[in-house]
Parts: sequence; C-alpha cells; structure tokens
Amino acid sequence: MKIPIVLAVAVAFGLLRFLRVKLLIWAAAWWIGIYILLRFGFTAPIPSSVITIYMGIVSIAILAYVSSSQERRDEISGPLIRFMTEKRYTLLLAVAVVAIPALAAANVYVRMNVSIEPPLFSRTVHPASPADITVHDKRIDLDAGENPFRHLETSNPQEFRKHVENGRRVYYQNCVFCHGDTMSANGMFVHGLDPIPTNFHDTIAQLRETFLFWRISKGGPGLPDEGGPWDTAMPAWEKFLQEDEMWDAVLFLYDFTGQRPRGREEVATK
Amino acid sequence: MSFRLSGPRSSLSAYAAVLIAVSCVATTRSVRAAGAQAGTAAQLEPGRVIYLEYCAQCHGEKGDGEGYAASHLHPRPRNFTTGKFKIRTTPNGALPTHEDLVRIIRRGMPYTSMPAWPDLSDQEVSALANFITTFSPDFSNPENAPKPVPLPSAPRSTKESIDQGKKLYEENGCVKCHGALGRGDGPSAPTLVDDWGNPIRPADLTQRWTFRGGSSREDIFRTMSTGLNGTPMPSFLDALKDEQRWAITDFIDSLSEPSGPGYTNVVITKHVDDPIDLAKGTANFESARVARLPIIGQITEPVREFHPPATSVTVQAIYDAESIALLVRWHDMSAERTGKNGPSLPVPREEEEEGAPAGVQVGKSPFGEEEVAPTGAQQAGKDPFAEEAAAPSGPASEFSDAVAIQIPSQVPTGTRKPYFIFGDAQNPVDLWFFDLARPAPLQFTAKGSADIAPNDTGDVTGVASYEQGEWSVIFKRPLRPASGAPFSPGQFMPVALSVWDGFSRERGNRRGLTVWYSLYAEPENIPSAVGPMVKTALLILAIELAIIGWVRWRYASRGREELGGARLRAGGATAGPP
Repeated sequence: MKIPIVLAVAVAFGLLRFLRVKLLIWAAAWWIGIYILLRFGFTAPIPSSVITIYMGIVSIAILAYVSSSQERRDEISGPLIRFMTEKRYTLLLAVAVVAIPALAAANVYVRMNVSIEPPLFSRTVHPASPADITVHDKRIDLDAGENPFRHLETSNPQEFRKHVENGRRVYYQNCVFCHGDTMSANGMFVHGLDPIPTNFHDTIAQLRETFLFWRISKGGPGLPDEGGPWDTAMPAWEKFLQEDEMWDAVLFLYDFTGQRPRGREEVATK
Repeated sequence: MSFRLSGPRSSLSAYAAVLIAVSCVATTRSVRAAGAQAGTAAQLEPGRVIYLEYCAQCHGEKGDGEGYAASHLHPRPRNFTTGKFKIRTTPNGALPTHEDLVRIIRRGMPYTSMPAWPDLSDQEVSALANFITTFSPDFSNPENAPKPVPLPSAPRSTKESIDQGKKLYEENGCVKCHGALGRGDGPSAPTLVDDWGNPIRPADLTQRWTFRGGSSREDIFRTMSTGLNGTPMPSFLDALKDEQRWAITDFIDSLSEPSGPGYTNVVITKHVDDPIDLAKGTANFESARVARLPIIGQITEPVREFHPPATSVTVQAIYDAESIALLVRWHDMSAERTGKNGPSLPVPREEEEEGAPAGVQVGKSPFGEEEVAPTGAQQAGKDPFAEEAAAPSGPASEFSDAVAIQIPSQVPTGTRKPYFIFGDAQNPVDLWFFDLARPAPLQFTAKGSADIAPNDTGDVTGVASYEQGEWSVIFKRPLRPASGAPFSPGQFMPVALSVWDGFSRERGNRRGLTVWYSLYAEPENIPSAVGPMVKTALLILAIELAIIGWVRWRYASRGREELGGARLRAGGATAGPP
C-alpha cells in the first residue's frame, strides 16, 4: 500500500463528512475515491481489466444504495433534474452536453493510437525441475541430492571457505556480465537482455541448491516450454564448467547474499 | 535492487561501521590535507574490507588489475599501483583528488565492466577511495598532492558555439582518432594502444551514453581539459582556452541526444508505394522509423565474445507490394573488406581468454610531428609527438566485417520461438548473412550454433556501403518467398541480429548479437480514428439529448418550488420508468 495516497483519500472523506455534503456528492466521492485507491494506492499495479471489473461492482453498489429508499432517490435526482431544467444552469448544461461526447471521442482517439507492443509471453520464472539430470555423464538426483560440499560448512570450515572462494572465481569470470557485481541483476549486458537475469538476493532463499545446480548446468535451453527456453541467454554451463565448479558457485551465491538454501525437509512437508 | 551486507559478514561490517564512525572525520580530513593517502592500518581497515569484498575480483587483491575476472574484461580493470586514473579534475599525468575517486566509484563507467555503486554509503565510498590510494607509492609523496584545474561553469550552448566547436574540432586533431563525424573512426583509431600496450578505441562521440567519464556537458568539458591518463587522449588545458574547449564541448554535445540511446523492442516496417530499388540505397528508407537495438556479447555458446566493439545497431524496415527491405547501420572504426567471415567459422578456445581483442598493434601517437594543433597538449607517459602517425594503409584483414539478420524459418504458431542464438533442432532459423568482403548476402539455415548449412535460394539480395565510420547494409527479400517465413501486414515476426567486427577477429560464435526483437509490418492503410470518434460522440450526444428532453418534458410543467424542494414526487428517480 502507498500510505500517502491512502491517507489523502481518508482525509478527503473526512472533509466531506465535516462539510455535510449532499448524497450526490457522496456517491461521486465514493466512486472517485475507490478508483484512486485501486489505481494508485497499491505498490504493485493492478491490471486495468481488473480495475474495470471492480469499478463496475462499485457502480452497482452505489446505484443500489442511492435507490434503496424514496428519500435517497429524491436526494439524488433532485439536483440532476434542477440542473437540466432550470434556466440559470442552461450555459453549464450546454457545456456539459458538448464536453461529454468530446471526452468520449478523445478516449477513442487515445485507444486507437496505443504504441505497437509485441505480443507478451508470460513465462514461468521458476518452473518445476526434473527429478534428475545427467551432467558430464553423471546422474544428479535433484530431489534427494545435496550440494556435495555443503557438509564442509560444519565439518571443515577451512576447506569450505576454499570452495566458496573457488565459486567466487567462477562467478566473476563467467556470471558477472549479466547477474552483476552485487548479484542484483545489474551486469553490463542487462540493457540488452529480455528476460532479465535473476536477482539472487530476492530468490535463492526459496530454492534448493540442487535447483540452482539444474538451472546453472542446463541453462536456458534446459527449461521446459513454460519457462521460455528460446528467449533466455542463460548458458548451459556444463559446456564451460566442471561439476565441482558449479557446486562451488552455488555455495558462493548463498555466501555472498547471506541467504540459506531451502532444505529438503521443507519440500517433503509441502 | 537490494544490496546487503549480511550473513557471515555482518560482524565484519559492524566492525567496519564502528571504525568508520570513530575515525571517519579525522581520517578523510587528514588524508585530503596531505593530498595523498595517509592514515594508520586501523584507519584504512574499513576501506580494505569493502575492497576485498567488492573490488578485488577484478582489480586484484594487490590492486594490480589482475583479479579473477581480468582476463575476460576489456577495457582491462584499472591497475591501481600505477597511480594512473582516467577520470580526474587534475592536470594530465597528475593523481586524482579524493572526490574524483569517490565520483567514479559512485557513477561507474558506462559500457565497461566497472559498475556504478549507488548502494554503498558515503562513508563506505570515501573509505574505499582512501584505501585505493595505498596501492601506489605516488600518493604518499606530498609533492604529488593533486590540485584540480579550474573548470569554469558552462556558458550557454549556441548555434555559433557549436559551429566554432566544429571548426576547432577539425583544427586540433580530434578528427585523427574520433573521425570527421565523431564516430570514433579517425585514421589513427585502429592503431591506438594504452600505456600498457592494450588496444584501445577512441570514444564514439555520437553515442554520449557510452562516454566513460559521463555524458553531461560538464563531463565532456572536464575530459577534454584533463585528458584520460594512461590513454592516448591528451589534455587540451594549455592548448585551448576555456571558451574554445566549451565550444568543442557544445559541438560534441550536439552530436547525440541527451536523452540516451532510446533502445526499443520493435522494428516497425512501413509500407511504401514506390517499388523498393536497391540502387537508390538508403534513400528508400526515408519514411521508416529508426529502431535502435542494443548489441551484447555472445557469451552463451563457446567460444564467447565478452566485449563486442559495436554496442548497438539501428534498423529501419519498409515493404512494397512484393518485397520487404531492412536497413541495418552500425558504427565501426574501420571497414574490413578483405578476408572471410561466416556464421560457423571455428574459433580456438584460447581467444576467449585474451580479454582485449587482438588488433593491429602499431602503438603510435595519433598526432603527427608536423601537426600544429595540440601544441600544448600534454600526455602522460610517452611522448605523443615522437612518431609520424600511421597512415590508414588498409592492410589486408584475415577476417572481414559481417552482419546477419535472423528470422524463424516458419512463422511461429503460439509463443514457441526458435532458440535466440541460431535456432534449435526443432525450430530452425533463416540467416540472411552478409560477408562484407563479398558483393551480396547469402542465406543459411541454422538449427543451433553447431548446425548451420548454406541454403541459398537467391531470394535475399542486398547492398552494403561504408562511409565515415558507419556501415549501411540493406537486405531485400520477397514478402512471400518459395521457402521461408512470409511477412504479412499486421503481424509480428521475431527478428534478431548479429554483427561481426573483422578487425577484432570476430567470426563464428565470437560476435555481438541481439536477443529476439519484433518486426511489425504496419498495414498499408491504418484505419482512421475520425470515423469511430464521430460515431461515439454522436451516440453519446443523442443519449444526452434524449435524457434532457425527457426530463424537461416530465418536469417542466411542474412548479419550480416543488422541484426546488427537498422532496420530489414519487417516480422522480432517474432510474426506472416513472
């Protein structure tokens, strides 16, 4: 939620209450207020089709409310009828009669001149991995497997640091160009990539180390169709790296970002 | 874009934070006062911690520019032990100020592997700038204390100043490296090397977003005033007056839009009434919109290219009753029209490790002895006027320049596309490949980088020309060929491009490429918006008038006091029949 916008709408409603405005104003205020909240009040933008549906519901609700008793019907229709019949409003009425079709025509113009956008492919970012893969003629079990060097973290911390350091070497010789120096998907080629590379700070805590190994060793071409294997520039690193180097790189990703890999138990209970 | 010091390093960063808090003011003051690095090991510790975490992988733990990544990087990471820094406010050859170092860490160097570091705190960047100075003994000599040169504020850019700048640009030897139109294609450009013998390219002044020191007028003025240490770019501080340097700045400023490259993801193909005539060349494309697409290195298939010289291409497209034509342009400092090239030429794996592309290493100054212009131009290191500049002799190149347009062999149904690098076994792509040593393009069908076969139906024709540092290559093909994907108005076709620079020995997989973009054939007759607009307006107007008429008919006969009252008669509501 964007707090300033929510507060502004709340204040506006408070003000209307304080001024004891008419029902017609209230109806308009509710409609506009809810629209502003939906359109601008959320951090992640809501699709316009969804907003249209919500606003349809809001319109029906307001209509139902204002027509639910004779008193309310009168309070709504009174000002409207006066506006359309009394002489002192004639000029304003004429302006409104011209302005509303003009706005509608402008809307048609804008809709017919939207910039040309290529068809959108909504890919699945982390599709399910296969049960096992074969890397350099060796079968790797992705469900039951573990990073073969993870156990060193407790049993032999010195050796573990060596593996992390080797992973660091692998990362900065190969991965930095897209995933960036700070692993925030801000490498020097990012402006020319679509889809953009993974930001490791945001994602890897929810993933298992074997999942990362799958993504690294098989790369974009190893994705199922829902992942859009034809678009992503992620190489199949088995063409460049040894198995140990890829496991070391996985260790380094978690070490640098300060994340912990998701454990196997969690997967089992899900 | 989160950026966290956390996890195993939290204790380190806490330690660093405490140290910074305690010593920050005293440290930076004393260091700046000395004009060079100072401070005890404890005072430098925070910077050292950050350096080892974020900088050493490229610049090396000893600051010698030999970190893990160095062999894949071009330009190479800075070797801090030399004390030579490109972007400074100090005279040529001098050390940078503390603020200079802070600025370049913060902003990074565009289109190189030096990123910007916006997420480090001011204290962290300051500590880092201090620590970097410990690598070179030059900083500890008080005589070397950096003194910034006067950089007066910018006068207004005018038509006159731009014209004067253009004249000065031509008179002062800028053309020798940067080229007559500023495209980085001067006669000396292919011979340039930096102080360490690595080939280096002059900036393309028509693409300000690639300037290493920043793209604002102030940045351009500063670079021209202080030069770039370690490179052939001299300082014009003494050779030219402030106004003259500002005039050249205004000229460079006028060569590209300040808004940036304006990369897009769709190439709009415009219908033309006149038949497309290759003999007319680029004049065919006057009505077509220019789409600029970013070029990235081919770093997915072996053997990789980490730093293609071309950073972008522009594409324009048109179609007539029978054919579609694409005009592809990019800047290249020299045209390689001899030798050969091909989409599947093999490349030895060792070439990946060289980092810098192997060019013709002549290593001469861009300025000839007899040249009068940069008399006061100073250059660090070697004497810039020692030797006569090498004439553009145009030696025979082993590999020629080349360009390829890639489209799917069949129009994709649904979302499934061929793999963006030369397709895949199930989804082949057509390559319109133009080896620029040859007079015409050839067609290939590719099912992946390892499976590329000639498939020349003769459908694709084209012409290519090189002028003033720019290749202009036109491809033409029937809209509906006997074999190959047809183009239809109103449809999107995936398109990708590859560019090879023969000078950098690019061929086969070693090349710059784009990911998939879209080619959209705009319909010949775009429906006018006027009809629907008028229809909508009239419909709404009719409804309005009907409502108003009904209301007036219904209520005009009633007394005004009744309408003005709080209550209306039953049935007065707007909704529902009375």
